[in-house]
Amino acid sequence: MTVTGQEIVDYVDRVRAALADLPPAVRDELTEDLPEHLAEVAAETDGTLVDRLGEPEAYAAELRAAAGAEGNPGRTSLNRRLTAGRARAAVQLERLDVQLGPLLGQPSVSVFLRPLRPAWWLLRGWLAALLLSALFGEPSGLLPRLDGSVLAGLFLLAGAVLASLWLGRRSAGFRGWPRRLLRLGTGALLLFAFAALVNVDQHASSDYFRGYEGVPVGNRYDSIQDVFVYDEQGRLVRNARLFDQNGVPIRLGWPTCVDGSGVVPPPRNVYPYCPEQAPFAPPSPSTPPPAPTGSTSPTTPAPTGSATAVPGPTDSAGTTTPTPAPTR
Amino acid sequence: MDTTQLLKGVLDLAVLAVLREEDGYGYDILRRLREAGMEEVGDASVYGTLRRLFAAGLLTTYVVPSESGPHRKYYALNAAGRDQLARSGKTWRSFATTMDTLLDDRGMAA
Repeated sequence: MTVTGQEIVDYVDRVRAALADLPPAVRDELTEDLPEHLAEVAAETDGTLVDRLGEPEAYAAELRAAAGAEGNPGRTSLNRRLTAGRARAAVQLERLDVQLGPLLGQPSVSVFLRPLRPAWWLLRGWLAALLLSALFGEPSGLLPRLDGSVLAGLFLLAGAVLASLWLGRRSAGFRGWPRRLLRLGTGALLLFAFAALVNVDQHASSDYFRGYEGVPVGNRYDSIQDVFVYDEQGRLVRNARLFDQNGVPIRLGWPTCVDGSGVVPPPRNVYPYCPEQAPFAPPSPSTPPPAPTGSTSPTTPAPTGSATAVPGPTDSAGTTTPTPAPTR
Repeated sequence: MDTTQLLKGVLDLAVLAVLREEDGYGYDILRRLREAGMEEVGDASVYGTLRRLFAAGLLTTYVVPSESGPHRKYYALNAAGRDQLARSGKTWRSFATTMDTLLDDRGMAA
């Protein structure tokens, strides 16, 4: 026997495609015996099914004529043409399906994809949860949220995944409008998935961590560009080094000004990067009360000593010669 | 003359006739028709005819599990089917007689 089970399945599919304009119940009835019939033919014949029975489309036409089953009479010729075109496209797709199969080491692409369906159901549930979360106006990320709560979002995620799995097991039997609705929903989800992917990718490939809503640190310091340390007397500390409790250097911001040679220097672990952009004017020795607004009240304008809070080497030149007016 | 054209008109009657003695499943009916001499009958025509006769209420169906291969759907004549077979059979015989006479009169009998 040279006819494979796959060939029978393909033949049935093509006959069904050619009868696509019939009401689903009528079509099912007409093709009910077909697999059994083809199996009998296959058992008796050496050639292919097409050799023995002709093209599936011709078979479908004969079946339709003999059964006296007419297409939906209300349909216009345009609709008929559309249906026929769709049937032809389906046939082309099936051929491609079989032709590309060997690339994946399977008889056809659909054989390769079929076992992966539950994975799609899981993914679909996750996407649906993300979409719901986005519809409620939550910021887009990789985890759904409800009212800003990740826990509620996780419940939503679990619910959506379970619903999608349930739908996946049931949807094979869908006909008519539930099937159409399912396809529409799938299309919408895929569109949304693409948009979400682009969004997440943008956040992930930029230096800021705005996309990672799940990581609470970093957010508050995103806008920090430079750090200015003032000593007790309100004088700007230059070349300050910042460390956390473990002695790990704290890195914040990035240089935005050019140095003497006209290039933006690489970020170092010394602040400020751009002293001339200091928000508060340094107290000038000649004018006693130039209290920098908001900073610690400098009652003694005389520059005595350097900053004590800095563990690193203090730049004496920086602390004793106050820079002129702030540049901002 | 093309036999397929003739077949179209009488396939209903032929299918009813082969089911008179014994129930059968689709491929079995097809085989019986071929063995009886209807070599040119198309597979799809027989299956389509079976569906139409069933839809018209002339046949009943039942499924028989098969040890080898898929389950088979058997078709059987019911009372309406037998009735129809009797009436169509009569019509056919009288029609065939008319045709015979016509052909004999004109001297075209083979």
